[in-house]
Amino acid sequence: MKSLFGLVVGVLLAGAVPATAHHSFSTEFDSAKCSDTIGVLTTVDYQNPHAYVFLDVTNARGATEEVTFQLSSTTNLQRGGADRPTLMRNVGETVTVRGCAARNGEPNRFAASYIILSDGVVQRVGQDVEGFFTVGR
Amino acid sequence: MKTCIGVMVAITGLLPAVAAAQEPPVAAVAATAREGRPLIEARGNVEQIELPPGGPPPRMVDGHVNLSGVWFAGRTGRANAWSILPRERVQSDPVPFQPWARARIDAMSQVERQLASPSVSCAPVGTPGMFTMNHGYPSQIVMQSGLFVHLAEADNSWRVVHTDGRPHKPAEELAPLFNGDQTAHWEGDTLLIDSISFDERTWVNGSGWFHSDELHVIERLRRPSMNYLEYQYSVEDPKVLTKPWTSGWDIYTLGSEDLIENFCTNNENIEQLRKLSEIQAGDAQ
Repeated sequence: MKSLFGLVVGVLLAGAVPATAHHSFSTEFDSAKCSDTIGVLTTVDYQNPHAYVFLDVTNARGATEEVTFQLSSTTNLQRGGADRPTLMRNVGETVTVRGCAARNGEPNRFAASYIILSDGVVQRVGQDVEGFFTVGR
Repeated sequence: MKTCIGVMVAITGLLPAVAAAQEPPVAAVAATAREGRPLIEARGNVEQIELPPGGPPPRMVDGHVNLSGVWFAGRTGRANAWSILPRERVQSDPVPFQPWARARIDAMSQVERQLASPSVSCAPVGTPGMFTMNHGYPSQIVMQSGLFVHLAEADNSWRVVHTDGRPHKPAEELAPLFNGDQTAHWEGDTLLIDSISFDERTWVNGSGWFHSDELHVIERLRRPSMNYLEYQYSVEDPKVLTKPWTSGWDIYTLGSEDLIENFCTNNENIEQLRKLSEIQAGDAQ
């Protein structure tokens, strides 16, 4: 895989643009305000144009807060291995979600790029706005 | 090969201490050739393995090239939404907007542009939007002699076009349609789809390119080899453009997957964007 990076990066980067999608990530979410959230996955809403997952997270005061994460579309998720049964198997489990905050100030609302599932698998679930997965970002 | 995500934390400095203090989940990281930045190997990443040409294109019993197949944008024959490389740009000339049209597009904020986009609101994207918008989703083409059937996965949209070169409907029978009144014919091995009479709510592509009721679109599709489909579109719109414009050739490759149902049933983005628009309007005052 490493050799693949070196082989193709120089060839394609000069004429490359992000893949187009249903909407602009950067308009709605802030790629400079991304963080990890660790919590218990409570709900999976597997719909289009975006799926959502909800986590119960213990805040600094010891209270439980619900956090909403927007994922990609169900078709992107299915093709990427995040089908509904995979996500549903993690309901009730502790997971880590990488997400970027909504720009509209709505608290506890993020767009997720990946979830570390309860079995340790790092699962893509959304756009790569931080350059974790994309060569040259 | 595998290292812990803590390595990534140390390098990027992006993850909060609470995550680093956990028993590190397993993630594989690799340095990029360009920036030395770690890449996470995650399930769902799509490697860029370019499909070979695959031999000559198939032909139908009438001798025309058969364009049938499930086609993904790009060169891998797979969905490109989670590619490890950004999408390859199609080289095209600048769009010759009339000054007032250019100004209208430029005057929109990013949020306004999103709220006006048919793609964001899950409205029909029409023609040529079925190819030019929602680019990360595949299309299936089904052909038989005299007929072109286009099934786009995004929002489960479709169109059926006769390829016998029949004329457009008479002017008095035309009504505005998202895909327009369409007819097609062959020029050698290239299929030309000619469309007029459009609903003005569609965009030509995702850039905010609105159009008038005089929009005329000519799409060209050709299959130079078994695994490759090429798409180009020309636009005439004398009320919006100063002259006709033609895109570069966009590349699609043959996939081995079926389309997946994709109805837009839970669109929260509009409400979220409206909240953002209200905040920005308040900030501007």
